[in-house]
Amino acid sequence: MAEHNNKFDFQLYVITGANYHPGRPLADVIEQTLIGGADVIQLRDKFSSEQEILEQARVLRELTRRYGVPLIINDYIDIAIMVDADGVHLGQEDLNLAVARRRLGPDRIIGISTHSLEQALAAQAGGADYIGVGPVYPTGTKPGRTAVTTSYVREAADHVKIPFVAIGGITLDNIDTVLEAGATRVCAVSAVVGADDPAAACRAFKARIAAHNGAAAKEKAKAEAEAEAGAAVTAHDLLEAQPAESDLAYLGVKINGKEQWTTAGTIEELIWQHSLEGRRLVVELDGEIVERDAWGRTSLREGSEVELVHFVGGG
Amino acid sequence: MRKAAYPVEIFEPASGPDLGLFDDPTRYSRQIRFGPIGTAGQNQLRSASVLVVGTGALGASLAQHMTRAGVGTVRLADRDFVEPSNLQRQMLFDEDDARDAMPKAIAAARKLRRINGGVRIEAHVVDVGVRTVGALIDGVDLVLDGTDNAAARLVLSDACFRAGIPLLYGGVTASEGMSAALIPGRTACLRCLIGGDEASDEAADTCDTAGVISPAVEFVASLQAAEALKWLCGSREAMRRTWVSADVWTFRVRESKLPAGRSACRYCGARQEAQGAASAAQEDGGAMFTAAVLCGRDSVQVSSAVPFAMEQLRTDLERLGCTLTVNPYLMRAMLPEGGQSLVLFADGRVMVQGTSDPAEAVELCRRYIGGTDEKLPQDGAVLTT
Repeated sequence: MAEHNNKFDFQLYVITGANYHPGRPLADVIEQTLIGGADVIQLRDKFSSEQEILEQARVLRELTRRYGVPLIINDYIDIAIMVDADGVHLGQEDLNLAVARRRLGPDRIIGISTHSLEQALAAQAGGADYIGVGPVYPTGTKPGRTAVTTSYVREAADHVKIPFVAIGGITLDNIDTVLEAGATRVCAVSAVVGADDPAAACRAFKARIAAHNGAAAKEKAKAEAEAEAGAAVTAHDLLEAQPAESDLAYLGVKINGKEQWTTAGTIEELIWQHSLEGRRLVVELDGEIVERDAWGRTSLREGSEVELVHFVGGG
Repeated sequence: MRKAAYPVEIFEPASGPDLGLFDDPTRYSRQIRFGPIGTAGQNQLRSASVLVVGTGALGASLAQHMTRAGVGTVRLADRDFVEPSNLQRQMLFDEDDARDAMPKAIAAARKLRRINGGVRIEAHVVDVGVRTVGALIDGVDLVLDGTDNAAARLVLSDACFRAGIPLLYGGVTASEGMSAALIPGRTACLRCLIGGDEASDEAADTCDTAGVISPAVEFVASLQAAEALKWLCGSREAMRRTWVSADVWTFRVRESKLPAGRSACRYCGARQEAQGAASAAQEDGGAMFTAAVLCGRDSVQVSSAVPFAMEQLRTDLERLGCTLTVNPYLMRAMLPEGGQSLVLFADGRVMVQGTSDPAEAVELCRRYIGGTDEKLPQDGAVLTT
């Protein structure tokens, strides 16, 4: 998994939306959001030609670099590589995560839009650096998509270990509900880039997030101190705690010594989820090597212990 | 062995008045006193033959274990020559070997000769591949793996399982290592365990990208050597039936059970040897020369179908302004421009150093040693080892 996982974090994630600021140049509006404290900028443009998007990407790359803020490109891996962006953001329908990771290498950020816990856990297992969780509220940027509501935000807060950002129709009017549901990172589009004063809008968003995260951190510290006095939660308890209403086949398995959730049914799927397909591996399941040919038909069970080891080839 | 198309140096065991220390009754006394070997085991070692493929880090250590233990014949095969970067971990080589760019098999054999004059030692300066592996494994009891890439190991596994000879796999990178005894009739073959051509090592770490420390090498070589002694002295029931993976730095050792042969496999499945041999010969009939990228080493090996006339080439290369290092087995030519070197072996191989682009490597060969196109035909296949 990429090393920057620990380093890549943020509170306010801003996505471009040129249709919300007609008459004002993209670079001006985005610079205002940077002045206001946007922590990440994503270039998203579903309408322009690839050439136009490349031009915009170049401009934003220069701008974000000046402010020391990561630039993420929506969908276009080639453009991300060409302008040396920090990463890409992909939807569920886009090129799969494993392919993207191979092209981008281990160090670039990959974010995935998710609309259910199943998708979130798959993206996590597949090596995503963060996920989008939404749309929380109906939004003009994703017309026709049913809002997932804050219940999915709550699920994500409980089960997702990589950074997740709540997205979709979030404004200063509803942000507190989203934060109370467990989000610590928020994405805004129209409420920021469509505001008369994008810098002020960003400052307002960041103040709300910071206030909430500060209060949450205090509560967490208190809870941890209490928990330390009580019994430690065992890995087994965590396995028991999976959502009962779920109709998804989550398995609690141990991979290279670490407890993990997976929706993979077979060794082959597990390898795919970890973006290791095509690599030369030695695979052990419950103490015995599994032959390469049998990966596709070897099922994982609840509690399976799997070792995925790169074949050591030097000599 | 039939007459080979590559350099071979053979050291016959000492005899008569030359016996010297070899005949000293105490020579193997500590090993004989070890119960599971005993006098009977020592006699079996003395009549045994092994092939050590690759005499780099693992291979040099393995060869030393076998030679010191008094195995009757130790056959070494290696395509490479000694460089300064080898000396940190390849226990049989010294600075003179690196300065003279000695082929590893020859340098190792000479050192082993001085360690034990009673062992027959054969040094084969050869790239072990489908063309050459058959003659090399002919007549040996065991093959010890000291190679540095999965492709070569698959060639060994296929050949060993066809011939019914155990292969003791070992691999190291950084501080990690793995080892397993792959035994026809008992365990699956390497191809079944790690897959054949559908997997690739391109993204994998090698000693050249991730480095390697000598304790990891010696740890793995020791695991291999222990299994070799068991097999050769007749303690076959004591063979370890597991794949060991270990890290000597973080310290972790893990054993995984090895599955039995897979019936559908033409190598480790039941009694499919003859068929396997026929298909392999067909695979062998392909391109006339290949350019193989040597992973992470900024080198490409170009193989010509025709052996080189080394004396003639020496004159030609000097005339073209190359700086030459020559020994009886190879010739290294520093090119006058571009910083690359060509290392020529008489059997028709060229190691092009300073590029990882097969096309550029072939072009340099054409320019400096090509002359006629029959030496380096156009229709080369490219494979990555």
